[in-house]
Amino acid sequence: MKAVENIDQNYLIKQLPTPTAFVGNSGVVMDASDSWLEIFGLVPTKKKRKLNILDFFPEAKDFQNNNALSIRHKYISNDRICHFESSFTPWFDDKENVLGSIVQTRDITSEVEKELEIECLNNILKYKSEAAKIGWWEYDALTEEIFWCEETKRIHKAPESYRPDINEAINFYKSGFSQNRISMLFHNAMTKGQSYEVDLIILTFKGEERWVRTTGKPIFKDGKVVKLFGTFKDIHEQVMAETKIKENQQLLTTLIDSLPLNVYVKDLESKKVLVNKAECDYLGKNAEELLGKSDFDLYGKEMAQISRDEDLEVMKHLKPILGKETESAKKDGKTTYFLTSKIPRFDLDGRVNGLIGISMDISAIKKKEEELQNLISITTIQNKKLINFAHIVSHNLRSHSANFSMLLEFLNYEENKEERDKILKMLNHASDNLLETLENLNQVVDVNTKTPQLKKQLNLHDSIVKAQQNIVAFSEKNKAQIINNIPKQITVSSVPAYLDSIILNLITNAIKYKKPSVDPVITVDAFLENNQVCLRVADNGLGIDLEKNGDKVFGMYKTFHQREDAKGFGLYLVRNQIEAMGGTITIESEVDKGSVFNVYFNEENE
Amino acid sequence: MKKMNSIFIVDDDPITVFGIKKMLKPITDCSDVQIFQNGKEALEKIKERMGGILPDVIFLDINMPILDGWGFLDELISLNIQQPITINVITSSIDPLDLEKWQFYKARCPHTLNFRNKPIFKIELADLGYINVAS
Repeated sequence: MKAVENIDQNYLIKQLPTPTAFVGNSGVVMDASDSWLEIFGLVPTKKKRKLNILDFFPEAKDFQNNNALSIRHKYISNDRICHFESSFTPWFDDKENVLGSIVQTRDITSEVEKELEIECLNNILKYKSEAAKIGWWEYDALTEEIFWCEETKRIHKAPESYRPDINEAINFYKSGFSQNRISMLFHNAMTKGQSYEVDLIILTFKGEERWVRTTGKPIFKDGKVVKLFGTFKDIHEQVMAETKIKENQQLLTTLIDSLPLNVYVKDLESKKVLVNKAECDYLGKNAEELLGKSDFDLYGKEMAQISRDEDLEVMKHLKPILGKETESAKKDGKTTYFLTSKIPRFDLDGRVNGLIGISMDISAIKKKEEELQNLISITTIQNKKLINFAHIVSHNLRSHSANFSMLLEFLNYEENKEERDKILKMLNHASDNLLETLENLNQVVDVNTKTPQLKKQLNLHDSIVKAQQNIVAFSEKNKAQIINNIPKQITVSSVPAYLDSIILNLITNAIKYKKPSVDPVITVDAFLENNQVCLRVADNGLGIDLEKNGDKVFGMYKTFHQREDAKGFGLYLVRNQIEAMGGTITIESEVDKGSVFNVYFNEENE
Repeated sequence: MKKMNSIFIVDDDPITVFGIKKMLKPITDCSDVQIFQNGKEALEKIKERMGGILPDVIFLDINMPILDGWGFLDELISLNIQQPITINVITSSIDPLDLEKWQFYKARCPHTLNFRNKPIFKIELADLGYINVAS
């Protein structure tokens, strides 16, 4: 072998820059470049050594029969992993006989590392895509091909083998808004290079509607869009949950705003964090003005403190206040009655974070209650009057009828003419008495049943003057002096006949019950008390012992003085007439000093 | 014919007074029958006669001016009179309240207190303080 013997040649091989080895058919390394030996950590030497290629590449057993063998291998030196690729190429003699193989080894460390990195990135991307359920897609503008990742297919519920084209991909979007929109966005991305992100509805492979969020981003090359890349995410549950939340919120808002109750939520500092429409209307402010405000900003200090104390009690002891009747005075002074409930409110961890308040305006009910109470007391009074009247009727009529019975019984047995005449005279007398009693009772019934009669504005001063003229003979006979102090402009609303009767009775009584030795002086006056006219008739007469007879003064057939003409009817009638008009009458009196009667005309009853 | 020392009729109704007097005539022999318009007049007469001749029987109306029957009884009880008197409350009232009042006074009054509803056609011996032992 002359080539082998050529030392120059051998020296050339030694210097080859590409790591190269020449291997004989037996696998013996016949020669190798220094660079090749270095790869395997061998120091070049002039000494002959016996190396077999199979020691380096056990897998290369058949290298002689393989004319394009390529082996990847690595070598670890100094903690560094180096990757290599060795290719076996047959080596011929001039007769084209295979003498062995030329092994060329290439350092591919950086290539392998890059490959590993890409693989790793791909894995991360895949994992991310799976974990985040975000798929991706890619569209090649040149080939007009679209690629979907596995997740994107999963979201479309498409089989893994599915390969869509661009039209199919767009047809997945629900026809109408979603499809029109994606078509436009896709077109804009391609032609104008605009990115997009949009939430739309698709119909999956199985025909099910799903909300998805899709994005698209153009990739440019030389100023032209060559690709679109985008993500694809199933947001159906999220959208549904949001919709549900919105619906629930809408329901809740509608509900609390339509409730005829004041509803509010307060935080731990009793500041309002939610108010409904009724609460806003009640306070005359809109929600924005009320949120963050405490009762101290909205009510008087005292009211606010009461409310704050209640709040603290509820939040401290976690015991709700239910249906408590409260009174709320606004800063403008208007009072409203509420039925208030305060319920502790908890956060998701079960810690108290404020309270929910519900107040029902019961002012109207309260007013009704008051009216009812008034009505009851009126009814009670009426009932009392009725019983009293029934009693009077039965007593008086009964006493007359008893007299008739007795006298008639006498008449039955009486034979004496003189005695019979006497009894008949008595019967006549009894009959007259009965008639008078009936007439009196009739008058009272009239007063109590015929009202409300037409009331008129009557001048009090003139009415007194009229009464004075009517009793001029009577008062002159008794040397009575009547002083009319009533201001000329004062008028009262009264039934004319009643006013005449009241004045006449009071003045004649004052004259009738004069002290025997003193000429009667009667002072008539009128003034305003609590916005109603009070007529006052004062005398210097006998007076009445009110301690003994106070309850009987205005009773029927009650007399207090020894007088023939005392019937005990005048004051009873007067009281009935005044009360029928909604007024009241009072008396002040002291024995031997005189009496004062006060008549209050109820002007409010108009 | 019962002999009586004194009889008082306290009533402001002349017809009733006439009737009582007429009914007394056939059964009693009494020269001192006194008539009063109200409780006050009768009470004054009794006070005047304290230690002297007091009425054996009083016919007492309830509804009277100035001092009514019940007021008269109050005063009479407070006078603490030892001599027994028969008092007949005469009234046209059928009010149960008046009957209750009578029972109230009957329990407090040391004298005999009868209750008679009008009309009265006859005065019984019991009304004059005579207990009918036979019955």
